[in-house]
Amino acid sequence: MTDIRSHFHQELADLEQTLLNVADQAEQMVGMAVDAICIPDMELAARVVALDNQIDRIYLDVHNRWLTLMARQQPMASDLRMMSVLLHLNTTLERMGDQCVNIAKMAQVTYGLPRSDRIIAQIREMGDLVRQMIRTGVEALVRRDIDEARLLPAMDEPVDRLNRNMYREVVECGPDPSLLEWATRMMMVSRALERIGDQVVDIAEQTAFLLTGEMMEFNENGNSGTG
Amino acid sequence: MEMLEKDQEIDLTILPPASPAPAERVAVQARDLSVFYGAFQAVKDIDLACVANRITALIGPSGCGKSTVIRSFNRMNDLIPTARVEGRILFNEVDIYGPGVDPVEVRRRVGMVFQKPNPFPKSIYDNVAWGAKVNGFRGEMDTLVEGALRQAVLWDEVKDKLKESGYSLSGGQQQRLCIARAIAVKPEIILMDEPTSALDPVATLRIEELLQDLKQRYTIIIVTHNMQQAARASDYTAFFNMNPERAGYLVEYGRTEDIFTKPREKTTEDYITGRFG
Repeated sequence: MTDIRSHFHQELADLEQTLLNVADQAEQMVGMAVDAICIPDMELAARVVALDNQIDRIYLDVHNRWLTLMARQQPMASDLRMMSVLLHLNTTLERMGDQCVNIAKMAQVTYGLPRSDRIIAQIREMGDLVRQMIRTGVEALVRRDIDEARLLPAMDEPVDRLNRNMYREVVECGPDPSLLEWATRMMMVSRALERIGDQVVDIAEQTAFLLTGEMMEFNENGNSGTG
Repeated sequence: MEMLEKDQEIDLTILPPASPAPAERVAVQARDLSVFYGAFQAVKDIDLACVANRITALIGPSGCGKSTVIRSFNRMNDLIPTARVEGRILFNEVDIYGPGVDPVEVRRRVGMVFQKPNPFPKSIYDNVAWGAKVNGFRGEMDTLVEGALRQAVLWDEVKDKLKESGYSLSGGQQQRLCIARAIAVKPEIILMDEPTSALDPVATLRIEELLQDLKQRYTIIIVTHNMQQAARASDYTAFFNMNPERAGYLVEYGRTEDIFTKPREKTTEDYITGRFG
């Protein structure tokens, strides 16, 4: 059977591709932002901010294209669900970009302060985990693979644990006031990474919605309760 | 028809704001167009410039004059004895109602597809070949017929039964046959007056998809009662309404995406959101 709405479906696919590209960019920005903290590298931090400006511009463009498609094409069924997913994805990716900027700004304000190697190692670990989550979340969406999407909550669990642990690490820096300013800022970095992890789980839930038509919140085993 | 060959700069000053970008060429435009049927004024002071190789949809409530406007683009109103046209229709900057202009030639270059598919009681082949024959076409007729049927995305469905009657086809196929017939005489503009209102939803979507291909070669102006169709299929939308004397007028004209997401006029907003009409 031929696709009698091929022009519309092409536009829908183009919109999805734009956002998949943004997701790739967000994943790289997480890496750059974490490097900006860990190296530390002010230039890298500035590049993250510039890339986020790019994401913000794409966000507005996607929003306009989305609105036009919605008004003109009256999408139905899986096309309608895809439209819903794309709108959600657009907002989520824009916020992920903002979190990367938050991390980059922490790199700028803590530049030159004494640091803790343990905390640095922990932030790097969180960054690696979150990047892997983004790659998996995007892949699940691209492949329309609900089983892969269900992996995300379990992948997010160590990120949450490391974030909770960060509090203790910072407290342990307490006796050294010169370290404390840097360490408390790192709590905010940890929190930003933890938020990005949650946002990727959100994307996975959207993928599940796209595939099943059921809106669901994943629990940590990737099983669902209706949201 | 030398007069219709003149290709001068088109004055874009009559375009409303947020309408075609100046870089786009205007194919045909109504200037100060009024049409009367006897003493009754059906449309009043229409200024509308349709962009080449784009689809312009005319929408509005019943009786707002959109069919009258589209029929004046190829002098189809001449066929109604009481009809009288004031103002101008400029096609390649020539007024098609001007002296010395042959309405038959106008209709060859500005083709029309009607609401109900109206194939001739002839074979599929002859339906397409007819217009070219009448116009003294001397080339390879089989090639012409195949080309027109291919452009109308009908060829694969009829290539093995070209000698069968046009009536043997489904409604949607008949309408595509009528489009092929219109294409075969090599028009520059194709007018469509509610071309899918007699078709089922799938045949309708098929025609809409076909329009997206046809606009690469032709300028298309379509009257539709179906707002969603205008939204889906057109690049520009003109919204018409009636004044208290029941004469149709142009309320708003602009890019389809703007008309359906942020119309400038409250009347347009009310109409497309179903608050009147």
